Amino acid sequence: MTRIAYRRPEEMPERARQLTLERGNLNVYRAVANAEKVYTGWMEAGSAALNSPVLPVRLRELVVLRTAYLMDCRYELGQHNDIAPTAGVTGQEIKALTAESGWEQIDFNDTERAVVGLTSELVTTRSVSVALFDRVHKALGSEATIEVLMVIGRYAGLALMLNALDVDLDESDRLELPTASR
Amino acid sequence: MSRMPLTIVDQQSEPIREFMARRGELNLFRLLAHAPAVFVGWAQMVDEMLDSPTFTPRMRELIILRVAHLQGTPYELSQHMELARSARLTERQIDVIVDANGDYEAAGLSQTERVVLDAVSELCTTRHLREESFATVHAGLGDEALTELLMIVSCYYGLALVLKAVELDIDRLQV
Repeated sequence: MTRIAYRRPEEMPERARQLTLERGNLNVYRAVANAEKVYTGWMEAGSAALNSPVLPVRLRELVVLRTAYLMDCRYELGQHNDIAPTAGVTGQEIKALTAESGWEQIDFNDTERAVVGLTSELVTTRSVSVALFDRVHKALGSEATIEVLMVIGRYAGLALMLNALDVDLDESDRLELPTASR
Repeated sequence: MSRMPLTIVDQQSEPIREFMARRGELNLFRLLAHAPAVFVGWAQMVDEMLDSPTFTPRMRELIILRVAHLQGTPYELSQHMELARSARLTERQIDVIVDANGDYEAAGLSQTERVVLDAVSELCTTRHLREESFATVHAGLGDEALTELLMIVSCYYGLALVLKAVELDIDRLQV
């Protein structure tokens, strides 16, 4: 059971309400909206990340799933188990990314393999070997590397909020990825 | 040595330069400016967090220092040591916050501060809060401040990962 009362969009300041409804009025938003003075900026940051065309949406979902699993975040896993297939991630890939081991055996391309490896190492040990970092940086360039790191940081941080508030997974509502980025 | 070059401030778009003019031309901002599509939204989040009156600067810096210590992030620690001093945390208080077994009470931290530090430590190290830990910090802060506390933890915990991946250099002292 979610440990805090949900805020209703009708009670939110206008921009916050608009962003919340755009993203589907999910439990995560209605819980985090309790922090009214910082919620709008947090939603703006999320919208910018979701709408940025820099990362392929499939790569982004691989990072989110791996981060959610390593942060032991039931809510993020519940959402992204259903979102990832809309970005072309297969059931077998999801299963492997959300288990202790097994993703190394999946036939990811070199870039995806390096990015998933970096995500695993960073979230588990809070550091990344220089060789792995350089592989990702070389494959993606500086802009997309920073965006990957920002996605890891955002979802790792969000996992702490969701776990602390023990937010219930929405029954059927899921975040819809912006169509332009698919 | 940072594993990635930093952007040149003069070459950034107006909103990014405006943010750095207000918040400083820090290595962190020059790093994140590699990703202009997400920088401005992120900067708005940071602005709201730093300008929010919910916590005193002292409480905010105490939270950030603890997260930075638990994540082992030299960059965040170095930036926020100074900010913590200007927010009137004493040397002794700073020492216990960045210590594994600091005696908060002996250092003169208030009960609310101790409750907050305990919640931050449990959350960052176990990724969860036990029911009773949640109840304690919730009773101390209420809905809004508790959620804002989580937002601050979330932001600096995530940022720590970015910083550690890049091994970003600490800013040189600016006079």
